[in-house]
Amino acid sequence: MKALAFLLAVVALLGSVSAQAGVTVMDDRGAVVQLLPVPQRIVSLLPSLTESVCALGQCAKLVGVDRYSNYPTSVRTLSPVGGGLDPNIEAIVALKPDLVLVATSAPGSDRLRALGLRVVALEPKDYANALRVLGTLGQILGVDSAKAVVQTMEADMRAAVSLVPTAAAGKRVYFEVSPGPYAASTSSFLGQTLERLGLQNIVAGSLGPFPKVNPEFVVRAQPDVILIGDSNADALPSRPGWSTLKALQAHRVCVFNKEDADVLVRAGPRMAQGALLLARCLQGIYGAAPVSAATKASAP
Amino acid sequence: MTTDLKLVPRLALRAQGIGARLGGIQVLHALDLQIEAGRWTCIVGPNGAGKSTLLKVLAGLIEHTGVVHLQGQPLAAWPARQRAQRLAWLGQSEGAGDDLTVWDVALLGRLPHQAWLSKPSEQDYAAVEQALRQTQAWDWRERSLGQLSGGERQRVLLARALSVQAPVLLMDEPLVNLDPPHQADWLQIVRTLVAQGTTVVSVLHEISMALHADTLVVMAQGRICHQGLCSDPQSHRALEHVFDGRLAVHAVQGQWVALPRN
Amino acid sequence: MKQWLRQRPLALAAGLVLLSLGLLALGACVGSSGLQSLREVWLDEVSRQIVWDIRLPRSAGAWAAGALLGLAGAVAQGLFRNPLADPYLLGSAAGASLGVCLALTLLGAAPVAAPWLLQLGTTGAAFGGATVAVLLTLALARGVQQTLRLLLAGVVVGVVLGAASSLVLLVQPQLMQAMQGFMLGSTAFVGWDACALMLGSWGLCMVSAWGLSPVLDGLSLGESTARSLGLPVAPMRIALVLVLALATGTAVAHTGLIAFVGLAAPHLVRATVRAGHARMVLLSSLMGGILLLGADLLARSLLAPQELPVGVLTAVLGGGYLLWLMHRQNPVAVGAKP
Repeated sequence: MKALAFLLAVVALLGSVSAQAGVTVMDDRGAVVQLLPVPQRIVSLLPSLTESVCALGQCAKLVGVDRYSNYPTSVRTLSPVGGGLDPNIEAIVALKPDLVLVATSAPGSDRLRALGLRVVALEPKDYANALRVLGTLGQILGVDSAKAVVQTMEADMRAAVSLVPTAAAGKRVYFEVSPGPYAASTSSFLGQTLERLGLQNIVAGSLGPFPKVNPEFVVRAQPDVILIGDSNADALPSRPGWSTLKALQAHRVCVFNKEDADVLVRAGPRMAQGALLLARCLQGIYGAAPVSAATKASAP
Repeated sequence: MTTDLKLVPRLALRAQGIGARLGGIQVLHALDLQIEAGRWTCIVGPNGAGKSTLLKVLAGLIEHTGVVHLQGQPLAAWPARQRAQRLAWLGQSEGAGDDLTVWDVALLGRLPHQAWLSKPSEQDYAAVEQALRQTQAWDWRERSLGQLSGGERQRVLLARALSVQAPVLLMDEPLVNLDPPHQADWLQIVRTLVAQGTTVVSVLHEISMALHADTLVVMAQGRICHQGLCSDPQSHRALEHVFDGRLAVHAVQGQWVALPRN
Repeated sequence: MKQWLRQRPLALAAGLVLLSLGLLALGACVGSSGLQSLREVWLDEVSRQIVWDIRLPRSAGAWAAGALLGLAGAVAQGLFRNPLADPYLLGSAAGASLGVCLALTLLGAAPVAAPWLLQLGTTGAAFGGATVAVLLTLALARGVQQTLRLLLAGVVVGVVLGAASSLVLLVQPQLMQAMQGFMLGSTAFVGWDACALMLGSWGLCMVSAWGLSPVLDGLSLGESTARSLGLPVAPMRIALVLVLALATGTAVAHTGLIAFVGLAAPHLVRATVRAGHARMVLLSSLMGGILLLGADLLARSLLAPQELPVGVLTAVLGGGYLLWLMHRQNPVAVGAKP
């Protein structure tokens, strides 16, 4: 009898401890977030967080998004509340949200907290973080689907990697994000995607995630493939010295339109889609040769 | 300004061993100078003699070696406000605020007499009016400085110095831009002030005007060559000598006049 | 009427105060949810929060920031005896930008690692940067004795710190958009505590500047003349520079770099009324408050719910009015005062 009572007490204690452990969670700014009550009206000020919320099946709870959130298409009908960097405080408060999702570096989060709103700062900047953010978000939204979503993402990722033709393995690439020229280095999210696909980035990560490179550097490095957004693509051959680039001469250029560029840049649930876009483009350049078993096995 | 001669110190200003540097160059070399109270002293000399510098030293406006005594006490020992009440200085054309009115500028001369941030008193208004009338500027006291000609501006700045009503008045090139009638007015003002016991020290380029003073101080290259009465022929010789004999002093209709000589 | 107003600076002051109150009331009505919030203020908790906790502190904060900038502008123009002087002359703008740049970098890199930085926020960093820049200028000019040297030191500090900001942005280009937001200025994040801080700072600066105004009057005749009038010029100039730094730093810290208010407010006052520096400082402050509050109201309402950058509107409003004034005066004597 005493043993049973003791056991019950231990179980109760453990139960309460685990319940306490489930009551709060820490966001990317180190702030402690109360998990209860489960949020019903969500405002998101970061496109990747919007997509994460929808990936977890909670799209219906979104009441307001920033002006850059455009996927899935249903969020385009929601009230815009300014941008991530210039949120419209009044519009956010008028929507009566019980959860506001922001990036860690967003201004105005202090103001929103001071007005009594629950603000959570999450910023998925690379692969590992993106997956972790999904998990945290799942906890906050009170859903269990996070694990499943992550597993699906990883499977899709492996599938995308397997579509990369053998001829493209180890090729050196240059990804230009905006005129400047600003390139994506290995330490950016894009750079990590390229790495997973088995490509070599001519821009090293030690220069920062999006360094402004000297165009001469690109000419000297002679990348095998050039990846670029379509607004900049036409100007490339007219840059001084760039006509000597073999990649340009052989038309080994991948041009991405605005929507595709969004997918590539956001470290959110569509990252596998981004990898797929890159793989398809490489197939277009190097041909869709079947992948050997060895490559399949060694793919991460 | 008391008329009891026993209480007024005989020397308004006394300078001993004055040396001054401007931009690294020694401009004044161990000068001694004594300015008598109640007299008009004029400092003359060629360009670069250090006249303006000497005047600034007497006013306590630049760093110098040596000591200057104002009414028997070293300048440094005087509290700033009391020194300003006893010694007024009119400098050479410093940039003035163009949107101040004539009246405002003249009123600024009363700052040493006003308590900090207090409204001007009846005495202040009376002093300003007197000064503006003396310089014939009273009629356009509402105009702003920027609208005035050079001569009118100079008269307003002079009124500012006069409104201080200080027993010692130092003026550096006060006749700049003034036409002959106003130069004559200025002469009249100085004579009246001296008659009332004010000590006037002026630096003048116009030698003929300078010769109307009581005492003449002749300077060259940072040193005083001669100090004496204006009517003294030795002063005239010293004057001619310091200008390399290019001018000659003549008596014309009871006044001394300096004329160029080739 | 104009002649009548010219002699009565206090009448202008009363008018500006009334206008301020009117604009403040208007500020409670203007926002992304429009008049609906105002109508529902008694019924709905959220509407009450919108009007009381968001719109009113924003409007009051805009007025306070404008008042600080107008005050600083009048002091700067008096101190340097130059009608083109503005509050950012001693490098405070560049210093504040650099402070914000560095704070954003540190916050982005390791937000949890520096909790004190989180507390300080970009507001504290901007204020600190502005203050350090002014102190640097003072040190470089070795005191305030020579105006030209002080101005030159301010320009040098401004340029060097600006280059340092550019360098930081080069390494971290993702900060550029955030920095642009800071440069254009905004009252979006001003709450009641920020408001209280700005108004407190304004009170302190106003009393100090008003107390030091005889020096500004004396200085308008030249430094030597001011000293000959018995004014303790050097210590008071340092005090005025510190007032300038405090006012500018506080305004910039909370609302970013809003241009033109500090430059235009004293000119607008001078074009309307004739006053000595004691009154000028107060009037310029009131004028600055109205200029910024008016611009902020327009920024919020012109393209609602989108907000325009308030710095653009202050330039348009202030500059437009100055141009009109210049045009109205005798076209031959442009620049002459009436």
